[in-house]
Amino acid sequence: MSIKIALAGNPNCGKTTLFNALTGSNQFVGNWPGVTVEKKEGKLKGHKDVIIMDLPGIYSLSPYTLEEVVARNYLIGERPDAILNIVDGTNIERNLYLSTQLMELGIPVIMAVNMMDIVEKNGDRIHIDRLSKKLGCEVVEISALKGTGIEKAAQKAITLANQKNIAIPVHKFAPEVESVLDVVEQKLGSDIVKEQKRFFAIKLLEKDDKIQSQMKLVPDISKEIEQIEKLFDDDTESIITNERYVYISSIIGECYTKGRKDSLTISDKIDRIVTNRILALPIFAVVMFIVYYVSVTTVGTWATDWANDGLFGEGWSLFGLEVPGIPILLDSALTAIGCADWLHGLILDGIVAGVGAVLGFVPQMLVLFIFLAFLEACGYMARVAFIMDRIFRKFGLSGKSFIPMLIGTGCGVPGVMASRTIENDRDRKMTIMTTTFIPCGAKLPIIALIAGALFGGAWWVAPSAYFVGIAAIICSGIILKKTKMFAGDPAPFVMELPSYHMPTVGNVLRSMWERGWSFIKKAGTIILLSTIVVWFTTFFGWVDGQFRMLEDMEIDHSILASIGSLVSWIFIPLGWGDWKSAVAAITGLVAKENVVGTFGILFGFAEVAEDGTEIWGTLAGSMTAIAAYSFLVFNLLCAPCFAAMGAIKREMNNAKWFWFAIGYQTALAYVVSMCVYQFGTLFTTGSFGILTVVALLFFLGFIYLLFFLGFIYLLFRPYKESSSLKLDTKNFARAK
Amino acid sequence: MGTIIVGGIVLCLTAAAIGSMIHDKKNGKSIQCGGDCKHCGGHCGQ
Repeated sequence: MSIKIALAGNPNCGKTTLFNALTGSNQFVGNWPGVTVEKKEGKLKGHKDVIIMDLPGIYSLSPYTLEEVVARNYLIGERPDAILNIVDGTNIERNLYLSTQLMELGIPVIMAVNMMDIVEKNGDRIHIDRLSKKLGCEVVEISALKGTGIEKAAQKAITLANQKNIAIPVHKFAPEVESVLDVVEQKLGSDIVKEQKRFFAIKLLEKDDKIQSQMKLVPDISKEIEQIEKLFDDDTESIITNERYVYISSIIGECYTKGRKDSLTISDKIDRIVTNRILALPIFAVVMFIVYYVSVTTVGTWATDWANDGLFGEGWSLFGLEVPGIPILLDSALTAIGCADWLHGLILDGIVAGVGAVLGFVPQMLVLFIFLAFLEACGYMARVAFIMDRIFRKFGLSGKSFIPMLIGTGCGVPGVMASRTIENDRDRKMTIMTTTFIPCGAKLPIIALIAGALFGGAWWVAPSAYFVGIAAIICSGIILKKTKMFAGDPAPFVMELPSYHMPTVGNVLRSMWERGWSFIKKAGTIILLSTIVVWFTTFFGWVDGQFRMLEDMEIDHSILASIGSLVSWIFIPLGWGDWKSAVAAITGLVAKENVVGTFGILFGFAEVAEDGTEIWGTLAGSMTAIAAYSFLVFNLLCAPCFAAMGAIKREMNNAKWFWFAIGYQTALAYVVSMCVYQFGTLFTTGSFGILTVVALLFFLGFIYLLFFLGFIYLLFRPYKESSSLKLDTKNFARAK
Repeated sequence: MGTIIVGGIVLCLTAAAIGSMIHDKKNGKSIQCGGDCKHCGGHCGQ
């Protein structure tokens, strides 16, 4: 029989770091609240029969967000054998609020005070023995990041689970509240086990709607509620919250000694600059500019040039020794063993050209992922959500919407899933619709390809892709908020800013590798299969009524050319109405990397590389720089890959909303790309035609929606909070 | 002979790629990002 231990605690208290250390897993760790939105399971290292459950972070057992529901339902419904309550030692007073509730669940609880290394560094002291006595449960000191004390904590949790010693709450509410609780407990039916009666009684008294759905018989306690509300002149939820904080305040003085009083911490000092009213945005812009510039244009380019020109090109020099590239090696080997032409073509012009073109961008991607992992782990990205809140609020979204966008820089799927942390349904839907505007890792090869091929590696192209995404989100916020579907004020944004800390090299590298590996794995599976299909449809077709394999010069007669020609006219106003670009954009729906893979095959990547020329030159000859930027913008903003679309469908949970989201994204991408191409052509060549007029009309319509209907209203309207401010008391309690 | 050997290798690679995708899908993992979608479903709020 296995033992189940649940890790429960406030958001960003280090649960996932502890989970990884205990189980040897590689779950994503971030230095901001809300990284884990789903429970995760793993086996304790060296104990096959001990299952560790990593729960999403929660502030209380009164769930307001979806991930809080996940955690609470697990604790009540599945009843783990023990709870390992992780408490952030640097913020112990607020963390104890949840601890007092966990003690009421009738499950053995052991408390692990985390981040003890920082507590000691700050000169603070936590008196573990006194805390243990006051709370009535075992307390251990740990540092999940450094791995100290974690084995002891796990061992104590196992012992506790085996002993089945349920936690008996030492804390008591005011006598009047306790007597009412006794009455409510007696009214509860036999479907509630004895150990959970106190918890259910408290929740009923707090008028928790969701707890009632978990009960077969809901007793009428309106008289008790009325009695206590009259007595305390407040609502019961606030009374219980207040009682808990009164209790915590009564014990904290004895258990916690602050070292430096009223002095600013390093985090506070950094925040004075980084979150400064005037400097915050320019700093953010500069940081993101540097990230994309270095990743795509400088360090990333050197590495990618080696991968594209050396590994997947003519070869490279290793300490003076000339090492031939993969296409050359394979070509020689296949010729030597007398491989058939069609198979030779499939391997070199299909698989190597397609998969190689995608893998060539891995170095750039890894550099970007290192930067993002560092910014996330050090705590800066959490500040960005705070900074963006001020901007997003003006445009109808809250800073909470930035968290999914932040996660979306790696992959759109978890980004869309992370939107469930947003309580307000309108804001959540709008966030789902706009999250994929931020370039995900898979779009980086497209950005790098266009920047390198058409703009000679110009410094501004890659950073501009990120800012196009941000601009699309802001503009969408303004326009959509003016519609009935999304009208209303954004919900208040309460977020705990974590302390800055220097991330460990291991954590940054692990985060980089996880994201990079999923990209490499994708290249070996879905991209590989796609390139085989693209190669077959490119090099087979009908010539003079006969279906056969085609020569390089005949691919305009291919199956793919026929399919591409059917839809390519749609993209003529966007400047890339040739079938090759149209097909590349469409294959991008399978996976965005496919855009590059398809170009690799269609522009004869392997063949050309042997001649000393690269894909860049051939691609550059097929479209103008402005058409290429329009192509880039379209691919950045249009419907994401099928997997992300699936995530949008799941999170929207409604077919109509799903199609609206996909339609909106594609329409916006089309209009913006058209404006980019038509105006770009007008300014650079002076050519003016009917399509320029159409683009102008679209642009004027867009400006009208943006400025006259939306912007001025949103900018100058009197600010008022949404109706969800009724939760103010709880938010205050949480913030406290 | 060379064609048969190379063709066999390509076939094995393709089968392995498909097998890996099916395996991931069966384990509830997203083919794209490795996310544990099976245990999600997005229905937790219902």
